[in-house]
Amino acid sequence: MKALTGNRLTDGDVVFWRAGEWVERFVDAELFADAEAGEAAEASAKSQQTVIVDPYLIDLVESEGLWAPLSYRERLRALGPTNHLHHGKQAEGGAAIEALQHASGAARSTGRVNLIKR
Amino acid sequence: MYQYDTLDKEFLADRAAEFREQVARRLAGEITEDQFKPIRLMNGLYLQLHAYMLRVAIPYGSLNPVQLRVLADIGRKYDKGYGHFTTRQNLQFHWIKLADTPEILDALAAVDMHAIQTSGNCIRNTTSDPYAGATAEEIDDPRVWAEAIRQWSSLHPEYSFLPRKFKIAITAAAKDRTAAKVHDIGLMLRRGRDGTMGFEVIVGGGLGRTPYVGPTIKEFLPANRLLSYLDAILRVFNRHGRRDNKYKARIKILVSALGAAEFARQVEEEWAKVGTVGDLPDTEIARIRGAFAPTAFDTLINRSEAFEAAKAADPGLARFARNNLREHKRAGYTIVEISLKGIGDTPGDATSDQMDVVADLAERYGQNDVRVTHEQNLVLPHVKLDDVPAVYAALKAAGIGTPNINLISDIIACPGLDYCALANARAIPIAQDIARTFADQDRAELIGELKIKISGCINACGHHHVGHIGILGVDKKGEEFYQLTLGGSGAEDAAVGSALGPALPADRVAPAIDILVDVYLRERAEGERFLDTFRRTGVTPFKEAVYADAH
Amino acid sequence: MPTRIKLIDGQFSLVEDPFTHVSDDQDLPRGDLIISLTRFQNEGERLLSEGRAVGVRLEPAEEVEVLAYDLARLAVVAVAFPKFNDGRGYTAARLLRERYDFKGEVRAVGDILREQAGFMVRVGIDAFEPADGSTPEQWAHAAHRQRHVYQRAADRRTPAFAERE
Repeated sequence: MKALTGNRLTDGDVVFWRAGEWVERFVDAELFADAEAGEAAEASAKSQQTVIVDPYLIDLVESEGLWAPLSYRERLRALGPTNHLHHGKQAEGGAAIEALQHASGAARSTGRVNLIKR
Repeated sequence: MYQYDTLDKEFLADRAAEFREQVARRLAGEITEDQFKPIRLMNGLYLQLHAYMLRVAIPYGSLNPVQLRVLADIGRKYDKGYGHFTTRQNLQFHWIKLADTPEILDALAAVDMHAIQTSGNCIRNTTSDPYAGATAEEIDDPRVWAEAIRQWSSLHPEYSFLPRKFKIAITAAAKDRTAAKVHDIGLMLRRGRDGTMGFEVIVGGGLGRTPYVGPTIKEFLPANRLLSYLDAILRVFNRHGRRDNKYKARIKILVSALGAAEFARQVEEEWAKVGTVGDLPDTEIARIRGAFAPTAFDTLINRSEAFEAAKAADPGLARFARNNLREHKRAGYTIVEISLKGIGDTPGDATSDQMDVVADLAERYGQNDVRVTHEQNLVLPHVKLDDVPAVYAALKAAGIGTPNINLISDIIACPGLDYCALANARAIPIAQDIARTFADQDRAELIGELKIKISGCINACGHHHVGHIGILGVDKKGEEFYQLTLGGSGAEDAAVGSALGPALPADRVAPAIDILVDVYLRERAEGERFLDTFRRTGVTPFKEAVYADAH
Repeated sequence: MPTRIKLIDGQFSLVEDPFTHVSDDQDLPRGDLIISLTRFQNEGERLLSEGRAVGVRLEPAEEVEVLAYDLARLAVVAVAFPKFNDGRGYTAARLLRERYDFKGEVRAVGDILREQAGFMVRVGIDAFEPADGSTPEQWAHAAHRQRHVYQRAADRRTPAFAERE
């Protein structure tokens, strides 16, 4: 299973693809069981030059009955920094956030892009 | 503090106006992200994990209270009420919106600040001694020379697209608080035998993938020839530095490949051709020197009865005085270091409210002068001993009175994977763990000077190579592991640390540090710091203790 | 006829370009040419003797010193920037002007973007083939953006320290 993510151009916020739109919560993201559908969405996203920066597909794992980003890095993006638990998306709290916080299945970040170069 | 004149102010205003147009072009879709990225990076704007990050330059780590309050305001208005001071004496905001950046840059320019060249393959912020102008150890005020370099390097037409970024540090004291030997260029002011002033020039130090302590390529460069000599170094680098591999593009690789002697010869040859036309006239050096706001010191004796009485009455103040005060060049004054390493806090973070408190203190007690250290702390360089109790009380009330400068919990840490798009592992939680492990201040003082430096990836922004104990986060099959190194130093006795053994999982790092400290306390001879003991005993006793249960 | 942006007496304008860029494997057309350093070293003598104006395209890895004795005969040195972030061309241009006192055209070719205009003018480049479609007006706007400069360079602008006197 995959999801499509990127950072929004105007504010840099982490957003997820849902049927041609971008949503701010991972729990609202469209899930792609089918590789071709994911790649088609990615291609479409890449054409949204004034909306999104560097969209890419991430791998998901099933964790306690919910889908979560496989890589640690992507879970941090979906939640926020661990040193300020009231910053970022995790501030909202709730069951979906808690599930993400407990998710495991760490693996090398997939779809990691070289977002910045020093 | 250097006072900007109309030219300096207009320079910043023009650059801010340019960036405003560039952002508008990007938002309007006139340029693509691939075209915009190098443009925004030239102005310190990165896209990190959660948002944009704006790195604001603090030239040679020097701020006045008005500037600090504007930084605090920007933190409140455009970020989440805080900022992060970096190992390059700069300040980063981690939650910035692209659309807000033109306003932010205008607000900065209004108080003589900017984000010029805080990223990109250009000459970055020149760093200097945070005690400049306050310590008796220095032979001249290095800020004068750092300001000359700031001006010379700003939008330099020839050196804005170098093979790789370029960092210069300058110090005028024998005790090096700038990590000069691990910079692309380290400049150390010296007096020649005839009393004239000059620089020892160190080139090709650096951290990252291939750490080097830089070699000295010129023992004594007459001070007034500084800019032409820098010109020669940069020109040799611009022409011959590698551009085929970004990991081999820093000047340290060129110096190492050519050998220091051959590199020095090429620089000398180019320098002879550049000639004195490349130097600043002495009149301009004098003007810059005169443009620093004068400090007015009272004539005092070097003892404050009020301070002594307050210390006797308050063990907390006495502890603060033992650890956070440094000797000032003038009798009756002291240098106050403000730790941004509260136990359990994020190293280098200051809230906007804390910044305001420091600004107030600098105004009231500190001659309007604030400094940032490369170890991510702040400094009030000119405080009367009489005023220390009041300063301490205000700092303590604001949560920044931690008495741990140079102690084990005074840890450098990069933002790591909590924020940074390049990181492989988190750095901040490791620092928090270690600080909590050594929260007992008596024990911390017993251990004495111990510099722990943590990086979340091999780019080494957390200076792990030069930590007495260095910690490098690595990604091992998707899990965060930490590689420990021992014996590094970023000071005048600079050295690159050596690996202790296999990387450890996150929850074993703080316990391992505890074991290392126990070994040190067992092995140390009278007066030895952790680093000294390590240098005497070598790695074996430390390694055996940490990996004892692995056998 | 193709054009390039030319800087003449402080003004940027679109000017017809009499020179043809010729790569090493192309046949030589008539008229004025810009050719590679290698081709110039092999065929330059003959081309000059035919009365043509000749320019040399200098790649980043090619050292400007090689041209030292030919400069008086060259109409153009085309400094190549294959990527905008390869800054070697800035040094080449500056040395042409300051060290060799080259009076001909120094032209920027390759990945030439508006953001570089100010830097390029300052190192003595006086002709531009923008890759981003910039107009002379846009180029002029970008090049003149900073009212002050801090360093001496090849453009003879008065640096801040001299302005202050």
